[in-house]
Amino acid sequence: MVTKTEETQLNRLESQVEHGGGGAWDYLCLVRKLKVRRSDKVLKYGLSILNDPKKRSGLGAEEWTLYEQVAIAAMDCQCLDVAKDCINVLQKRFPESKRVGRLEGMLLEAKGSWAEAENAYASLLEDNPLDQVIHKRRVALAKAQGNLPGAIEFLNKYLEIFMADSDAWRELAEIYVSLQMYKQAAFCYEELILAQPTVPLYHLAYADVLYTLGGLENLQAAKKYYSSTVDLTGGKNTRALFGVCLCTSAITQLTKGRNKEDSPDLQSLATAALEKDYKQRASDKVSVLASALKSLKVSS
Amino acid sequence: MAEDLVLDTAIRDWVLIPLSVVMVLIGVLRYFVSKLMRSYQVPDAKIVKEGQVIVRARNLRSGANFIPSKAFRARRIYFSNEENGLLFVPKGQAQNAQAQMFSDPNMAMDMMKKNLSMIIPQTLTFAWVNFFFSGFVAAKIPFPLTQRFRSMLQNGIDLSTVDVSYVSSRSWYFLNLFGLRGLFSLILGEENAMDDTQRMMQMSGFGFDPTKSLSAEKDGLDIVQHEWALPKFEQRAEAVLRKLVS
Repeated sequence: MVTKTEETQLNRLESQVEHGGGGAWDYLCLVRKLKVRRSDKVLKYGLSILNDPKKRSGLGAEEWTLYEQVAIAAMDCQCLDVAKDCINVLQKRFPESKRVGRLEGMLLEAKGSWAEAENAYASLLEDNPLDQVIHKRRVALAKAQGNLPGAIEFLNKYLEIFMADSDAWRELAEIYVSLQMYKQAAFCYEELILAQPTVPLYHLAYADVLYTLGGLENLQAAKKYYSSTVDLTGGKNTRALFGVCLCTSAITQLTKGRNKEDSPDLQSLATAALEKDYKQRASDKVSVLASALKSLKVSS
Repeated sequence: MAEDLVLDTAIRDWVLIPLSVVMVLIGVLRYFVSKLMRSYQVPDAKIVKEGQVIVRARNLRSGANFIPSKAFRARRIYFSNEENGLLFVPKGQAQNAQAQMFSDPNMAMDMMKKNLSMIIPQTLTFAWVNFFFSGFVAAKIPFPLTQRFRSMLQNGIDLSTVDVSYVSSRSWYFLNLFGLRGLFSLILGEENAMDDTQRMMQMSGFGFDPTKSLSAEKDGLDIVQHEWALPKFEQRAEAVLRKLVS
């Protein structure tokens, strides 16, 4: 997670580098530390350091880290020649290295030669079956080929060992949602909520899945999770507010007004909050909102 | 009460400074030697998995109230059922660490390497200091101290009349041994500064048994009372929205 202070620092450094203020190396270090994806910038400034022999030798042993960083950024930008050069330099310096082997696999992947990349990763995994990065690359590989069931299989295999990796759970949840396997997705989102109970995004996504699943019980649960999102975001999340309205109307439709346990206030409050928000930020859309909300009420 | 002792400047030049320099150099040397001897250990899949299971079970225990009770019950059974639950350790399978150590020669080898790189230079320097500098008063600290510091600062001098602020050479050796960590972290980089005290702590932490923490986690999970927290959130959301709208 990138915090706000870190992000402002990053942006400040970026603009400083952009206007020729120096500090390119610090910027690259920060990018690496925060694991953000700014491949074009990394490629540009990283190459400017690498092409300047004086600056490059000033880095000492960090030089090789920079080669790796630039290689990955270059693959992301489809500058495959640059990536190949970087990898060749690294290969010369560290023959037999697993880390360089991984880069070569990624280069094959970037070229689109899936089968070769798959073979490269498989042989790397044979040497070290617990390499998390390679496991994840294989998932990405399957996903890039459009082989979503394969990606799910790889992810499940990975999660069997590294079951506390919430990023992997999130990826799995998103794949399940895209395949409309909502029950499985719900399980993944539960896992995410357990790992980080205060992140409203997971509550929201879980509520979405529950709402899509349908059925009275799920709808009521979805409404609760939408409300928790409202609570955690301080009522700023428009999607959650709409979710509350949708759930309430769906529940009343199902129970035909025989619903005793829920107080009706929540929906009217959510509606009011939505109206206020729209008036403030998108006053030309208020009429659209009004008709949308009306259609919800009419159906109830 | 002894009068002020005058320390020869030659003591400073030939005892105090060489001792410190030698300690630093030995520390650096030891770092490189241990780097050479370090063998890459392939982590065992089972151990990694156990660690991850524990993290996940702990998450489940602390966040239990945030998921519906049906989901919680399913997970609890998954973790702690008596047949193939992840946290369940069959009776006979709980091998103890001692036996594991004997069965795996690599482990003993590693420990020996660590020990060698720690003990050999230490004994050598200690013998060296003892042989050449025993009984020296090597330095004087510029403030008075109470009698209790005598054993710390005047190791190797058995005179009760010498003022406590004088430091014997053997004590200077010990002070260096335990106090150079900050310097090493400057020279060798943050994570490389492994001083002896830390290493000793690691040694005592050896023989840690993961199966124990598994069953402890299972017990913890068994007694968790599930109370879904989400119904409360509707009221809280109402309060938030009321504040927002008004």
